[in-house]
Amino acid sequence: MREFEYVAPKTVKEVINLLASYKEKATVLAGGTDVVVRLRDEIIEPEFVVDIKHVDELKGIKFDKSSGLFVGALATMHEIENDKNVKEFYPYYADACGHVGSKQVRNKATSVGNLCTASPLGDSLTPMFCLDAIVVIEGPKGKREVPVREFITFVRKTVLERDELVLGIKMPYIEGLKGIYTKNARRHEVDLSNIVATICKVNDEYRIAYGSVAPTPIRLVKTEEFLKGKKIDDKVIEEAENILESEISPISDLRATKEYRISVSKSILKNSLKALNN
Amino acid sequence: MKKIDIKFILNGEPVELTVAPNHTALRVIREQLDLTGAKEGCGAGECGACTIIVDGLAVNSCLMLAPELDGKNVLTVEGLAHDGKLTDVQQAFIDHVALQCGYCTPGFIMSTTAFLEENKKPTREEIEIALSGNLCRCTGYKRIIEAVEDVVAKRGGK
Ligand code: FES
Ligand code: FES
Repeated sequence: MREFEYVAPKTVKEVINLLASYKEKATVLAGGTDVVVRLRDEIIEPEFVVDIKHVDELKGIKFDKSSGLFVGALATMHEIENDKNVKEFYPYYADACGHVGSKQVRNKATSVGNLCTASPLGDSLTPMFCLDAIVVIEGPKGKREVPVREFITFVRKTVLERDELVLGIKMPYIEGLKGIYTKNARRHEVDLSNIVATICKVNDEYRIAYGSVAPTPIRLVKTEEFLKGKKIDDKVIEEAENILESEISPISDLRATKEYRISVSKSILKNSLKALNN
Repeated sequence: MKKIDIKFILNGEPVELTVAPNHTALRVIREQLDLTGAKEGCGAGECGACTIIVDGLAVNSCLMLAPELDGKNVLTVEGLAHDGKLTDVQQAFIDHVALQCGYCTPGFIMSTTAFLEENKKPTREEIEIALSGNLCRCTGYKRIIEAVEDVVAKRGGK
């Protein structure tokens, strides 16, 4: 690990001032389960590491039905998967957070960190995509809000400026929405995903988000449109599977082949649609 | 590079230390504090050999920068036994011969210790999931799981 200065500001204002003066020389540290590995491997070589864990404003998870869920930047996967409201009203998100890495990793890793890392296979991201979560950002010019689908632009790329900080994410509460999270990996626990997906149903509409099938997590809007209002039977599922295939562009890598990913994606769709209509 | 002064509780005792920010907590614990129970296996959050308990939660000390220890309550495997008496978890690993080379053992013991505070009556599956961040190249895990189940049974959880 290269040398760097470590700073641990206590307020959002201080963080932003530091980021504004250090710019690309700084790396923000939250849970560290990704950043510390990248520091160690010298993939990143910042001059300053800005540890935000002492900023109380970024802690916690809030919920009420009118404003929905707010997940602070420092909420860990462990806190989210065990949060009473998340478990009751967003069980698929609790599930997703509970499938990240190992217990030790979940005790440190944050869901907002997972978002900022912007990996195509980020385990906790597909629920955010299904709910059209809003990313709340603060910078020197004040606050702005960006829909999650616009926030991630490519593999490990986001619209976040060097002097901005994500304060948290907002997820609306949608009455009657049911969702299912599925992760396919070589090993049940700890492993990186071959495919992750969250499929939700509200009334007779579907929201379908997949990870690991494109450079960013994506919503399968054509499949959603096709399924809208349809009664789910084997024929509809088969057609939906074909549309799904046209919407995804998975690659072959050391974890799985492209063909395997397509086949698994279809199975996940089929199983989720059946379960949601039971 | 500016060194950082930190204060924390280590195995029940207050510690004050000056650390290099680009050292991990694991390195500081092993090399500055000479507590060599926590091991480095992968150094990347995969194997759990470096597991310690921070504020009641099991974490990978290889993924923690040394300054992050500031203000924390830290427990390593060296802090478990009191007056030469092992904890029930440690004893169960011995009784069940839940180790061979022993490299992974402190990590497993710390994970188990934290987990059994959080879930007092875990099923076998829950135990397996809780320990899935700890890898062992020797035992095949069976004896480790049995040791943990034994602790649960003796504590009256089953
Ligand atoms: S050494 Fe920390 S997880 Fe392997
Ligand atoms: S006893 Fe050798 S690695 Fe577990």
